[in-house]
Amino acid sequence: MRYRSLALSVLLLSAGPAAAHHSFSAQYDADQPVGLTGAVTKVEWNNPHVYFYIDVLNEETGRIESWAWEMGAPAVIQRSGWTRNSMKIGDLVTVEGSRAKNGDTHGNARSVILVRTGERLGAGSSQGVTP
Amino acid sequence: MSRCLSVVLPVLLVLPVLAFAQSEPEVRPTPYAPDGRVNLDAAPGDKGFWNVMRGSVFGTGGTSLPTNLAFGEIPFQDWARDLYLYRQSRNGLDDPHARCFPAGGMRFFTVPNGLNIVDQPELDRMFFISGENRDWRRIAMEPGRQHPPEDEIIPSYFGDSIGWWEGETLVVDTVGFNERFWMIRGGLPHTRFLHLVERFTRLDYDTLRYEVTIDDTGAYTEPWSGGWLIPWQTVNYDNSPGGEIHEYFCHDNERDSEHFDQQEGR
Repeated sequence: MRYRSLALSVLLLSAGPAAAHHSFSAQYDADQPVGLTGAVTKVEWNNPHVYFYIDVLNEETGRIESWAWEMGAPAVIQRSGWTRNSMKIGDLVTVEGSRAKNGDTHGNARSVILVRTGERLGAGSSQGVTP
Repeated sequence: MSRCLSVVLPVLLVLPVLAFAQSEPEVRPTPYAPDGRVNLDAAPGDKGFWNVMRGSVFGTGGTSLPTNLAFGEIPFQDWARDLYLYRQSRNGLDDPHARCFPAGGMRFFTVPNGLNIVDQPELDRMFFISGENRDWRRIAMEPGRQHPPEDEIIPSYFGDSIGWWEGETLVVDTVGFNERFWMIRGGLPHTRFLHLVERFTRLDYDTLRYEVTIDDTGAYTEPWSGGWLIPWQTVNYDNSPGGEIHEYFCHDNERDSEHFDQQEGR
C-alpha cells in the first residue's frame, strides 16, 4: 500500500519546490523577501538556471538598478507553464522572491507576474528544499 | 417509480466504489526481459525514466525506507560527525556539486533530471545513464569479475563497479572513490576507503527500491545502511506525454560559484 501511493505522492510533491544543484540557503536569504517591478533587459534560457534581468527604479537614490533573478532549470519552469517566449525584452514584470545574502541586486525568484497579461508563473524556486 | 429506484439506487451505491477504484492507480507488475531477467528500465514499446528521489539515506522523510537509521544512530567517527554538522551550519555553501562537480557515489541517485538503466547482458555490462550533466556509470557484470588491486585504481567520482544478480535484486559493489564530492547534499562525509554496496529491486513497474551499505572505515565506526524508493516517470519534465530525459549541463551558464565567492569575500 505504501508503494501503491508512491506515484500519487510524487505527483503532489512535484508541484512543490524544485531541487537545484545547490541549496537555497547557500546563496539566498529567506528573511529578505523582495517584490519588484521592472522592465526585462535580458533573458538567459540556460541550465542550470534560467536567469533574467530587470531594470528597476530605486526610489531612494533615483537611480536605475539592474536586478538579476535566478529561476529553476528550463525544464523545471516549463512544468510551471513557461515557454521560451513567455518573457521578452522590454516586458514589464513583477517579481517576488528573496534577495542574495551578499546584498547584491540579485535574487531567487519565487514567482513572476507578466504585467501585460496579469499571468502569474511559478519560478521553480528551490526555497524550502531540504539542504 | 419503484422500478426506477431499483435501477438508480444500485448505481448510486456503486458509484463511490468506482470513483475510489479509479483514484487508486493500478499497480503494474515488474517487467522482465525474454531471458527472465528483471528489466530495470522501460518495457518494449514504453518510455520513461527514474525520477528524482524524495527520500534520504537516513531518517524516514519522503520516500525513505522505514528501516533507515535516525541521524543519531549513524555510526560516525567523531571527526566525521563534526564535519557533517559544520557543513550543515554553512548551508551547503561548500558543496562541490553546487559548483557543478559530479554527483559521485550514491549521490548519483539523488539528483534530478532523470535516470535510465541500460542492460547489455551480451556484453556483460550495464550502464546507469543520468540526465544530470549526462553523467554515466558502467557496471561490469562478467561472472567472477573482481576489483583491480587498490594501487591500480585511480580514485574517481564513480569508482570501480562490479555487479551481479541475487534473485531479482541487482547488487553493485563499488570501491575507488575520490574525496572530491559529498555523498548527499547535506554533506555526509566519506574517505578514500569508501566501499558501497548498492541493491536495486524493482518492486513493481513504477517503483525501484534503492538500498546502500556504506562501509568506510575512515569515517564511520562500522558499516551502515539506508535507502529510498525511486518512482518511474512517464511524462517529460514539462509534463507533456513521453518520458524522455532532457539535456542538463550544470556548467552551461553557471553563476553560483561567482556569487558564493562574493559572499565569502573572495
